[in-house]
Amino acid sequence: MLDDYDNKFIPWVLPIIIIIIWYLITCVLNLFSAYILPSPVDVVNSAWIVIQNGKLLTNTVNTLFKVFAGLLLASVLAIPAGILLGWYKPLEELCSFVISILRPIPPVAWIPFSILWFGIGTIPAVFIIFMGCVFPILVYTIDGVKRTDKVLVESAQTLGADDWNVLKRVVLPSALPYVVSGLKVGIGIALMCTISAEMIGSSSGLGYMILTATNLFDTGTTVVGMLVIGIIGLIFDYVFTKAQDRIFW
Amino acid sequence: MSIEVNNASKSFKSNNKDVLTVLKDINLKIDDGELICLVGPSGCGKTTLLRLIAGLENPTSGEVIANGEIVKRPSGDRAVIFQQYSLFPWLTVLQNVTFGLEMTGKGSDDENIKAAEKYLESVGLVEFKDSYPHELSGGMKQRVAIIRSLLNNSPILLMDEPFSALDMQNRHKLQEQIIEFREKLNNTIVFVTHDVDEAVFLADRIVVLDRNPGRIAKIVNVDIERPRKRDSKEFLDIQDSIVECLDVDE
Repeated sequence: MLDDYDNKFIPWVLPIIIIIIWYLITCVLNLFSAYILPSPVDVVNSAWIVIQNGKLLTNTVNTLFKVFAGLLLASVLAIPAGILLGWYKPLEELCSFVISILRPIPPVAWIPFSILWFGIGTIPAVFIIFMGCVFPILVYTIDGVKRTDKVLVESAQTLGADDWNVLKRVVLPSALPYVVSGLKVGIGIALMCTISAEMIGSSSGLGYMILTATNLFDTGTTVVGMLVIGIIGLIFDYVFTKAQDRIFW
Repeated sequence: MSIEVNNASKSFKSNNKDVLTVLKDINLKIDDGELICLVGPSGCGKTTLLRLIAGLENPTSGEVIANGEIVKRPSGDRAVIFQQYSLFPWLTVLQNVTFGLEMTGKGSDDENIKAAEKYLESVGLVEFKDSYPHELSGGMKQRVAIIRSLLNNSPILLMDEPFSALDMQNRHKLQEQIIEFREKLNNTIVFVTHDVDEAVFLADRIVVLDRNPGRIAKIVNVDIERPRKRDSKEFLDIQDSIVECLDVDE
């Protein structure tokens, strides 16, 4: 029924309306002073400045580096661990309490210790990101391994596969879509953690840029930073959704 | 390869801690190259018996012997074709078919692919070799699953109601293909079905099971020449005698 309309334009309608209203209440009606709510013009000006002086690029690269470092470390630990725990039930039972208790702790709650242990800079931020995405990746991987169709495992066994081949040729490919889902959730959390970590224990990155700009009442730059984070999240989401489309059969 | 089931019983613990005896004191000798059909009402343990022979379950007491060795775990010697579709969804038809050969390390890749193509050709699926399972119909999937086991040269084929989800036309076609393949390859086949017609068409001997607890009620020799005609008198007579033997409530 409603599927027939050409929907390429539809997603752009709401952002444009929001920008128009935003423009009206800031530039035309002048309801707020610039440091309470910067106008779209302020934001474009700020964007131009941070693009020209290279701050936006360095801080974005810096943030992305932390995100990927944390995500990589978490994956290296959580994917193999998830496979083991999903495969050997006693091991999962052994770890279940520890995982259940550590998992709900918000990653930012680790900020005090990350500063005490690693000081200020890149490493504490990476640690926070690691703590944020290790559990989703772990839990999704365990789930993926456990959901492996028993008939496929038994088929492989009756075709002569030993345990190692069952794991490698059946369990891993069948868990892969779940692992990718875990990474997708993980990267979203990683991005959020990075910004929080940068605001407290760091001297670089988009979070740091946002905070310092706000302290100088340069709220235009604050909005630029926020939008860049949003766009990065959007790109990640797009890439992972594409990856999922390719591996979900 | 011959199979011997000696005094095998199988019980499971159910949720309220009662012990449920699914099979009790099963004794069955299956000769090399024989085609046996297991029929019986639901809950008679025919699938469980098949799983014991496969080594996917171990008997609570008694033993299963295949080719002179006690069966303890699944092996490539005893391929199982399941009722549910069991192709690996992330592999193409060709990759699915050569999976067993890869596992057992038989043959080079080229030889295996050639052999697989020859088999696929024989069931009219060679043009689907690069398709993925989700692109195939149910009948095609089961044909690929059968080819996958045959190509692996498993001397024993264990089939658990493999055609129950198919329409009658497809079912008849695949039954004929099973007979054709058996004449060429001389596998020992144990075929579970609830379809008496199917059993009489395929089997050298039909093992009728009864339930509570599952046990062998009767073994019927099917001495009808092949190709068998489903409307011949001898076919219908055997069919009647088996239907009589089965529970009425089935």
